[in-house]
Amino acid sequence: MRVSIYRFNPETDTKPRMQDYDVAPEAGDKKLLDVLMRLKTMDDSLSFRRSCREGVCGSDAMNINGRNGLACLTSLQGMKEPVVLRPLPGFPVIRDLIVDMTQFFAHYHSIKPYLINNEALPERERVQSPAEREKLNGLYECILCACCSAFCPSFWWNPDKFIGPAGLLQAYRFISDSRDTATAERLAYLDDVYRLYRCRTIMNCTEVCPKGLSPSHAIERIRLALVRESS
Amino acid sequence: MRARSAGAPKFLNLSQIRFPIGAIASIGHRLSGVLLMVSLPLLALALDRSLRSEPEFAALRDLVSAPWRALLLVILVWAAAHHLFAGVRHLLADIGVGSRLAQARTSAWAVIVAAGIIALAAALRWLS
Repeated sequence: MRVSIYRFNPETDTKPRMQDYDVAPEAGDKKLLDVLMRLKTMDDSLSFRRSCREGVCGSDAMNINGRNGLACLTSLQGMKEPVVLRPLPGFPVIRDLIVDMTQFFAHYHSIKPYLINNEALPERERVQSPAEREKLNGLYECILCACCSAFCPSFWWNPDKFIGPAGLLQAYRFISDSRDTATAERLAYLDDVYRLYRCRTIMNCTEVCPKGLSPSHAIERIRLALVRESS
Repeated sequence: MRARSAGAPKFLNLSQIRFPIGAIASIGHRLSGVLLMVSLPLLALALDRSLRSEPEFAALRDLVSAPWRALLLVILVWAAAHHLFAGVRHLLADIGVGSRLAQARTSAWAVIVAAGIIALAAALRWLS
Protein backbone atom coordinates (compact mmCIF):
# COMPACT_ATOMS: atom_id res chain seq x y z
CA MET A 1 0.00 0.00 0.00
CA ARG A 2 1.34 3.41 -0.97
CA VAL A 3 0.79 6.30 1.41
CA SER A 4 1.78 9.87 0.60
CA ILE A 5 2.12 12.05 3.70
CA TYR A 6 2.53 15.79 4.23
CA ARG A 7 5.77 16.36 6.12
CA PHE A 8 6.96 19.49 7.85
CA ASN A 9 9.53 19.79 10.60
CA PRO A 10 9.75 23.40 11.84
CA GLU A 11 13.35 22.83 12.96
CA THR A 12 14.72 21.65 9.63
CA ASP A 13 12.20 22.50 6.89
CA THR A 14 11.43 25.89 5.41
CA LYS A 15 8.35 24.56 3.63
CA PRO A 16 6.24 21.40 3.69
CA ARG A 17 6.85 18.47 1.33
CA MET A 18 5.10 15.19 0.52
CA GLN A 19 6.80 11.91 1.37
CA ASP A 20 5.79 8.55 -0.08
CA TYR A 21 5.83 5.34 1.95
CA ASP A 22 5.21 1.78 0.86
CA VAL A 23 3.79 -0.36 3.60
CA ALA A 24 2.23 -3.80 3.68
CA PRO A 25 -0.79 -3.89 6.01
CA GLU A 26 -0.91 -7.05 8.13
CA ALA A 27 -3.91 -9.22 8.89
CA GLY A 28 -5.01 -7.26 11.95
CA ASP A 29 -4.77 -3.89 10.26
CA LYS A 30 -8.31 -2.72 9.63
CA LYS A 31 -8.18 1.04 9.87
CA LEU A 32 -5.97 3.77 8.47
CA LEU A 33 -4.59 4.44 11.95
CA ASP A 34 -3.21 0.86 12.04
CA VAL A 35 -1.16 1.65 8.93
CA LEU A 36 0.00 4.97 10.41
CA MET A 37 1.15 3.16 13.55
CA ARG A 38 3.03 0.68 11.37
CA LEU A 39 4.65 3.58 9.47
CA LYS A 40 5.65 5.13 12.79
CA THR A 41 7.69 2.01 13.55
CA MET A 42 9.43 2.40 10.15
CA ASP A 43 10.02 6.15 10.49
CA ASP A 44 9.87 7.47 14.03
CA SER A 45 10.15 11.07 12.84
CA LEU A 46 6.61 10.85 11.44
CA SER A 47 4.31 12.83 13.73
CA PHE A 48 0.57 12.59 14.25
CA ARG A 49 -1.82 12.66 17.19
CA ARG A 50 -3.77 9.62 18.31
CA SER A 51 -5.06 8.27 21.57
CA CYS A 52 -8.19 6.14 21.96
CA ARG A 53 -8.00 4.59 18.45
CA GLU A 54 -11.78 4.18 18.32
CA GLY A 55 -13.37 7.51 17.38
CA VAL A 56 -13.91 8.83 20.88
CA CYS A 57 -10.99 11.17 21.58
CA GLY A 58 -10.97 12.97 18.22
CA SER A 59 -7.16 13.25 18.12
CA ASP A 60 -6.38 11.75 14.73
CA ALA A 61 -8.43 14.08 12.54
CA MET A 62 -6.70 14.72 9.22
CA ASN A 63 -7.35 15.27 5.54
CA ILE A 64 -7.60 11.82 3.97
CA ASN A 65 -7.66 11.72 0.16
CA GLY A 66 -9.05 15.25 0.08
CA ARG A 67 -11.68 14.84 2.81
CA ASN A 68 -11.43 15.34 6.55
CA GLY A 69 -11.91 12.32 8.75
CA LEU A 70 -10.56 10.31 11.64
CA ALA A 71 -7.79 7.86 10.72
CA CYS A 72 -9.08 5.42 13.36
CA LEU A 73 -12.56 5.26 11.79
CA THR A 74 -11.39 5.15 8.17
CA SER A 75 -11.51 1.61 6.88
CA LEU A 76 -8.59 0.40 4.77
CA GLN A 77 -10.96 -1.61 2.64
CA GLY A 78 -11.58 0.04 -0.71
CA MET A 79 -9.26 2.99 -0.05
CA LYS A 80 -8.05 4.74 -3.17
CA GLU A 81 -4.26 4.55 -3.56
CA PRO A 82 -1.99 6.29 -3.05
CA VAL A 83 -3.61 7.31 0.19
CA VAL A 84 -2.84 11.02 0.50
CA LEU A 85 -2.71 12.33 4.06
CA ARG A 86 -2.50 16.01 4.86
CA PRO A 87 -3.10 18.01 8.03
CA LEU A 88 -6.52 19.57 8.67
CA PRO A 89 -6.97 22.34 6.08
CA GLY A 90 -6.62 25.94 7.19
CA PHE A 91 -5.05 25.15 10.56
CA PRO A 92 -1.42 26.18 11.29
CA VAL A 93 0.83 23.13 11.06
CA ILE A 94 3.02 22.43 14.09
CA ARG A 95 4.64 19.35 12.61
CA ASP A 96 3.60 16.83 9.91
CA LEU A 97 -0.06 15.99 10.57
CA ILE A 98 -0.22 17.84 13.89
CA VAL A 99 -2.03 21.18 13.75
CA ASP A 100 -2.33 24.04 16.20
CA MET A 101 -5.88 24.01 17.57
CA THR A 102 -5.50 27.05 19.86
CA GLN A 103 -7.91 29.17 17.81
CA PHE A 104 -10.41 26.34 17.51
CA PHE A 105 -10.55 25.83 21.28
CA ALA A 106 -10.65 29.60 21.91
CA HIS A 107 -13.92 29.66 19.93
CA TYR A 108 -15.15 26.65 21.88
CA HIS A 109 -14.42 28.38 25.20
CA SER A 110 -16.08 31.59 23.97
CA ILE A 111 -19.51 29.91 23.80
CA LYS A 112 -19.26 28.93 27.50
CA PRO A 113 -19.49 25.18 27.03
CA TYR A 114 -20.89 24.41 30.46
CA LEU A 115 -24.26 24.47 32.15
CA ILE A 116 -25.21 27.89 33.52
CA ASN A 117 -27.95 27.90 36.12
CA ASN A 118 -28.00 30.45 38.91
CA GLU A 119 -31.17 29.20 40.52
CA ALA A 120 -30.99 27.67 43.99
CA LEU A 121 -29.51 24.19 43.97
CA PRO A 122 -32.15 21.48 44.15
CA GLU A 123 -31.99 18.93 46.94
CA ARG A 124 -30.91 16.17 44.58
CA GLU A 125 -30.37 16.70 40.84
CA ARG A 126 -31.82 19.04 38.18
CA VAL A 127 -34.45 16.82 36.66
CA GLN A 128 -35.10 16.53 32.93
CA SER A 129 -38.06 14.85 31.28
CA PRO A 130 -37.25 12.20 28.65
CA ALA A 131 -38.46 14.66 25.99
CA GLU A 132 -36.11 17.38 27.26
CA ARG A 133 -33.21 14.93 27.35
CA GLU A 134 -34.04 13.82 23.83
CA LYS A 135 -33.26 17.33 22.56
CA LEU A 136 -29.58 16.85 23.43
CA ASN A 137 -29.22 13.84 21.16
CA GLY A 138 -27.18 14.66 18.08
CA LEU A 139 -25.46 17.49 19.98
CA TYR A 140 -23.71 16.10 23.05
CA GLU A 141 -21.84 13.43 21.05
CA CYS A 142 -19.42 15.93 19.47
CA ILE A 143 -15.81 14.96 20.23
CA LEU A 144 -14.24 18.27 19.08
CA CYS A 145 -12.05 16.61 16.46
CA ALA A 146 -12.36 19.73 14.25
CA CYS A 147 -13.06 17.76 11.04
CA CYS A 148 -16.08 20.02 10.44
CA SER A 149 -14.53 23.43 11.15
CA ALA A 150 -11.45 22.50 9.10
CA PHE A 151 -13.68 21.65 6.13
CA CYS A 152 -15.73 24.85 6.31
CA PRO A 153 -14.80 27.57 3.76
CA SER A 154 -16.27 30.27 6.02
CA PHE A 155 -13.94 29.11 8.80
CA TRP A 156 -10.95 29.00 6.41
CA TRP A 157 -11.43 32.66 5.47
CA ASN A 158 -12.42 33.96 8.92
CA PRO A 159 -10.87 31.62 11.49
CA ASP A 160 -10.52 34.40 14.04
CA LYS A 161 -14.10 35.74 13.81
CA PHE A 162 -16.42 32.90 12.80
CA ILE A 163 -17.04 30.46 15.63
CA GLY A 164 -17.24 27.60 13.16
CA PRO A 165 -19.52 24.56 13.01
CA ALA A 166 -18.02 22.72 16.00
CA GLY A 167 -18.32 25.70 18.34
CA LEU A 168 -21.85 26.48 17.12
CA LEU A 169 -22.99 22.87 17.54
CA GLN A 170 -21.69 23.01 21.12
CA ALA A 171 -23.40 26.38 21.64
CA TYR A 172 -26.70 24.88 20.54
CA ARG A 173 -26.15 21.90 22.85
CA PHE A 174 -26.40 24.32 25.82
CA ILE A 175 -29.11 26.51 24.27
CA SER A 176 -31.34 23.45 23.96
CA ASP A 177 -30.59 22.18 27.47
CA SER A 178 -33.71 22.62 29.62
CA ARG A 179 -31.54 23.00 32.74
CA ASP A 180 -29.58 25.95 31.35
CA THR A 181 -30.95 29.41 32.21
CA ALA A 182 -28.56 31.53 30.11
CA THR A 183 -30.28 30.99 26.73
CA ALA A 184 -30.91 34.71 26.12
CA GLU A 185 -27.28 35.63 26.87
CA ARG A 186 -26.00 32.79 24.71
CA LEU A 187 -28.17 33.87 21.78
CA ALA A 188 -27.18 37.53 22.23
CA TYR A 189 -23.50 36.54 22.04
CA LEU A 190 -24.03 34.55 18.83
CA ASP A 191 -26.15 37.24 17.12
CA ASP A 192 -23.25 38.66 15.13
CA VAL A 193 -22.44 38.89 11.43
CA TYR A 194 -19.25 36.91 11.92
CA ARG A 195 -19.73 34.61 14.92
CA LEU A 196 -22.90 32.97 13.57
CA TYR A 197 -23.91 34.49 10.27
CA ARG A 198 -20.69 33.70 8.40
CA CYS A 199 -22.25 30.28 7.89
CA ARG A 200 -23.34 30.08 4.26
CA THR A 201 -25.13 26.73 4.60
CA ILE A 202 -22.56 24.99 2.43
CA MET A 203 -22.94 21.96 4.76
CA ASN A 204 -19.37 20.70 4.35
CA CYS A 205 -19.44 20.27 8.14
CA THR A 206 -22.27 17.76 8.08
CA GLU A 207 -20.69 15.98 5.09
CA VAL A 208 -17.52 15.12 7.00
CA CYS A 209 -18.58 14.74 10.66
CA PRO A 210 -17.16 11.33 11.67
CA LYS A 211 -19.83 11.01 14.36
CA GLY A 212 -22.65 11.59 11.86
CA LEU A 213 -23.77 14.81 13.55
CA SER A 214 -25.22 17.81 11.77
CA PRO A 215 -23.64 21.12 12.81
CA SER A 216 -25.49 22.83 9.91
CA HIS A 217 -28.81 21.76 11.47
CA ALA A 218 -27.71 23.15 14.87
CA ILE A 219 -26.77 26.45 13.19
CA GLU A 220 -30.17 26.54 11.49
CA ARG A 221 -31.88 26.01 14.87
CA ILE A 222 -29.84 28.84 16.44
CA ARG A 223 -30.86 31.19 13.61
CA LEU A 224 -34.51 30.23 14.03
CA ALA A 225 -34.26 30.73 17.81
CA LEU A 226 -32.91 34.23 17.19
CA VAL A 227 -35.77 34.99 14.79
CA ARG A 228 -38.32 33.75 17.33
CA GLU A 229 -36.70 35.80 20.08
CA SER A 230 -36.78 39.01 18.06
CA SER A 231 -40.41 38.64 16.94
CA MET B 1 -4.92 36.07 20.55
CA ARG B 2 -1.56 34.92 19.22
CA ALA B 3 -1.32 31.26 18.36
CA ARG B 4 1.91 29.60 19.36
CA SER B 5 2.53 28.60 15.76
CA ALA B 6 2.27 32.06 14.19
CA GLY B 7 3.97 31.96 10.78
CA ALA B 8 3.55 28.20 10.51
CA PRO B 9 2.51 26.75 7.13
CA LYS B 10 -1.11 25.86 6.46
CA PHE B 11 -2.47 23.26 4.10
CA LEU B 12 -5.17 25.02 2.10
CA ASN B 13 -4.66 24.03 -1.52
CA LEU B 14 -8.24 23.95 -2.79
CA SER B 15 -7.31 21.80 -5.80
CA GLN B 16 -6.31 19.01 -3.40
CA ILE B 17 -9.55 19.09 -1.45
CA ARG B 18 -12.44 16.87 -2.56
CA PHE B 19 -15.46 19.13 -2.32
CA PRO B 20 -18.96 17.75 -1.72
CA ILE B 21 -21.66 18.67 -4.23
CA GLY B 22 -23.12 21.31 -1.89
CA ALA B 23 -19.81 23.16 -1.88
CA ILE B 24 -19.68 23.10 -5.69
CA ALA B 25 -23.22 24.53 -5.89
CA SER B 26 -22.15 27.19 -3.40
CA ILE B 27 -19.00 28.16 -5.32
CA GLY B 28 -21.17 28.38 -8.44
CA HIS B 29 -23.55 30.66 -6.54
CA ARG B 30 -20.68 33.01 -5.68
CA LEU B 31 -19.19 32.94 -9.16
CA SER B 32 -22.54 33.52 -10.88
CA GLY B 33 -23.26 36.39 -8.47
CA VAL B 34 -20.02 38.13 -9.43
CA LEU B 35 -20.72 37.60 -13.15
CA LEU B 36 -24.23 39.02 -12.80
CA MET B 37 -23.07 42.02 -10.82
CA VAL B 38 -20.42 42.88 -13.39
CA SER B 39 -22.66 42.29 -16.42
CA LEU B 40 -26.03 43.68 -15.29
CA PRO B 41 -25.21 47.37 -16.03
CA LEU B 42 -24.15 46.39 -19.56
CA LEU B 43 -27.23 44.22 -20.06
CA ALA B 44 -29.50 47.02 -18.80
CA LEU B 45 -27.78 49.39 -21.21
CA ALA B 46 -28.28 46.88 -24.04
CA LEU B 47 -31.97 46.54 -23.17
CA ASP B 48 -32.35 50.31 -23.19
CA ARG B 49 -30.68 50.53 -26.64
CA SER B 50 -32.72 47.67 -28.07
CA LEU B 51 -35.97 49.40 -27.11
CA ARG B 52 -35.13 52.71 -28.74
CA SER B 53 -35.76 51.76 -32.37
CA GLU B 54 -35.86 48.86 -34.78
CA PRO B 55 -32.47 49.64 -36.40
CA GLU B 56 -30.82 49.83 -32.97
CA PHE B 57 -32.35 46.47 -32.04
CA ALA B 58 -31.05 44.96 -35.29
CA ALA B 59 -27.59 46.46 -34.72
CA LEU B 60 -27.48 44.98 -31.23
CA ARG B 61 -28.61 41.59 -32.53
CA ASP B 62 -25.79 41.64 -35.09
CA LEU B 63 -23.35 42.64 -32.35
CA VAL B 64 -24.13 39.55 -30.25
CA SER B 65 -24.33 37.16 -33.17
CA ALA B 66 -20.53 36.73 -33.28
CA PRO B 67 -19.83 33.30 -31.72
CA TRP B 68 -17.62 34.46 -28.85
CA ARG B 69 -20.11 37.17 -27.87
CA ALA B 70 -22.94 34.64 -28.05
CA LEU B 71 -20.83 32.40 -25.81
CA LEU B 72 -20.63 35.23 -23.30
CA LEU B 73 -24.40 35.46 -23.37
CA VAL B 74 -24.70 31.70 -22.78
CA ILE B 75 -22.41 32.04 -19.75
CA LEU B 76 -24.58 34.88 -18.44
CA VAL B 77 -27.72 32.81 -18.95
CA TRP B 78 -26.06 30.04 -16.91
CA ALA B 79 -25.13 32.61 -14.24
CA ALA B 80 -28.68 33.95 -14.00
CA ALA B 81 -30.20 30.45 -13.84
CA HIS B 82 -27.68 29.07 -11.34
CA HIS B 83 -27.90 32.13 -9.12
CA LEU B 84 -31.67 32.07 -9.10
CA PHE B 85 -31.97 28.34 -8.32
CA ALA B 86 -29.16 28.31 -5.75
CA GLY B 87 -30.65 31.40 -4.11
CA VAL B 88 -34.09 29.81 -3.79
CA ARG B 89 -32.41 26.67 -2.42
CA HIS B 90 -30.69 28.80 0.23
CA LEU B 91 -33.87 30.65 1.17
CA LEU B 92 -35.71 27.37 1.61
CA ALA B 93 -32.84 25.93 3.68
CA ASP B 94 -33.01 29.00 5.91
CA ILE B 95 -36.52 28.08 6.94
CA GLY B 96 -35.60 24.43 7.35
CA VAL B 97 -36.89 23.12 4.00
CA GLY B 98 -34.49 20.59 2.48
CA SER B 99 -31.76 21.31 5.00
CA ARG B 100 -31.09 17.68 5.88
CA LEU B 101 -27.94 16.31 4.26
CA ALA B 102 -29.57 13.86 1.82
CA GLN B 103 -32.09 16.47 0.63
CA ALA B 104 -29.41 19.16 0.42
CA ARG B 105 -27.25 16.91 -1.76
CA THR B 106 -30.19 16.23 -4.07
CA SER B 107 -31.13 19.90 -4.31
CA ALA B 108 -27.49 20.88 -5.01
CA TRP B 109 -27.43 18.40 -7.91
CA ALA B 110 -30.80 19.71 -9.08
CA VAL B 111 -29.53 23.31 -9.11
CA ILE B 112 -26.41 22.39 -11.08
CA VAL B 113 -28.25 20.21 -13.59
CA ALA B 114 -31.17 22.65 -14.10
CA ALA B 115 -28.83 25.60 -14.68
CA GLY B 116 -26.79 23.41 -17.05
CA ILE B 117 -29.89 22.47 -19.07
CA ILE B 118 -30.95 26.09 -19.40
CA ALA B 119 -27.42 27.10 -20.48
CA LEU B 120 -27.44 24.22 -22.97
CA ALA B 121 -30.75 25.39 -24.39
CA ALA B 122 -29.30 28.89 -24.77
CA ALA B 123 -26.22 27.45 -26.46
CA LEU B 124 -28.36 25.48 -28.93
CA ARG B 125 -30.38 28.62 -29.67
CA TRP B 126 -27.47 31.01 -30.16
CA LEU B 127 -24.44 28.94 -31.04
CA SER B 128 -25.83 26.48 -33.57
